Amino acid sequence: MHGTPGTMINSGMPRLRPYPEPTMPDDADAPLPTEPSKGLITRQAISDSTPLFIPAIPFALVLGFAITESAMPTGIAWSTNIFIFAGAAQLATVSLAATATWFTLVATAAAINLRHVMYSAALAPRFGDQPRWFRWVGPYVLIDQTFALVSTRTELSTSAWRRYFLSSGFFFFTLWNIFVVAGMVVGSSIPTEWRLDVAPAVMFAGLVVLGLSNWPGAVAAIVGAGACYVALGVPNNGGILIGAVSGVAAGYVADVVLDGRNLSTRGFPQ
Amino acid sequence: MTATAAMSAVLVVGMITYASRAGLILFLAERPLPSSLVRALRYVGPAVLSALTVNLIAGGEGASGVEFAEVAAVSVGVLVAFLRRNLIASLIAGMLTLWLLLVLF
Repeated sequence: MHGTPGTMINSGMPRLRPYPEPTMPDDADAPLPTEPSKGLITRQAISDSTPLFIPAIPFALVLGFAITESAMPTGIAWSTNIFIFAGAAQLATVSLAATATWFTLVATAAAINLRHVMYSAALAPRFGDQPRWFRWVGPYVLIDQTFALVSTRTELSTSAWRRYFLSSGFFFFTLWNIFVVAGMVVGSSIPTEWRLDVAPAVMFAGLVVLGLSNWPGAVAAIVGAGACYVALGVPNNGGILIGAVSGVAAGYVADVVLDGRNLSTRGFPQ
Repeated sequence: MTATAAMSAVLVVGMITYASRAGLILFLAERPLPSSLVRALRYVGPAVLSALTVNLIAGGEGASGVEFAEVAAVSVGVLVAFLRRNLIASLIAGMLTLWLLLVLF
């Protein structure tokens, strides 16, 4: 899922008092005297996460439907919620099972999730003084939305940040599982004439657009789609990987070229 | 796809996903990624998702699997995503387009 913090919707939940400004960079485990209580941090994490979850609801419902339609046994398709827990990669996994080979499916879903390496790199310093168990558990719920939330919470102490991270992450995990199952229940009762099987394609196209923030990204998307189209005849859905590699190469080159002219960081006119 | 192939695919994707999320946190804390790698990673998302969209429209049947109504639905979805920056609006507009065309033709 690509988080879109820019399109936050007011959750309607009461906004809690903002945290006090940090008085000094603090990495000690002991909370600052002004630090909010544990309960307040958890509530704040949930109230911050709620508006980010709302755009994920249709995604979860579409995924639930795709799980019931998947060429995989339903239980195994459902288990992606536990073993993968990443919307776009889950949707790719269950949708591609019908047509792609094992290798193409795995490579495509894995490629979709490579962006998490960037999140991991960005947050690694914050994990330096965290307990070992959290360094193992935290990344399990490091989805786009959690990253967007925790990366801005630099003022929290080590223990408060950990609580905020886990509260937000497992809040998303719980709601995600509920709504995917809801999609499975609702979706299985919708007749096939409604062509809900088209919804994943519309969803992925929308995700591409919402994820674009600069021109090299647009180049990567257009070349990726074009190369995949040209390579549609390649057996075993190899066109996806050809499209992916061509798109990344084109985006990279566009970034280098535009960077040379100081243009690559310029966003689109909105 | 057999149950064994499906289960192993899910587990391998799961492991790669967890490794992407946890790898640098567990083993390389504090060391920044090379800038060229960061630059390339930025474009993995748009490239692979747009290629996947085209592939899903074709439905694994090559270019002959491309249906007009599906292309129209995705195109309207893209347009609305651009204009509204909202995934729900994009999905609804795309699906309404599809249903309209299916009813008309």
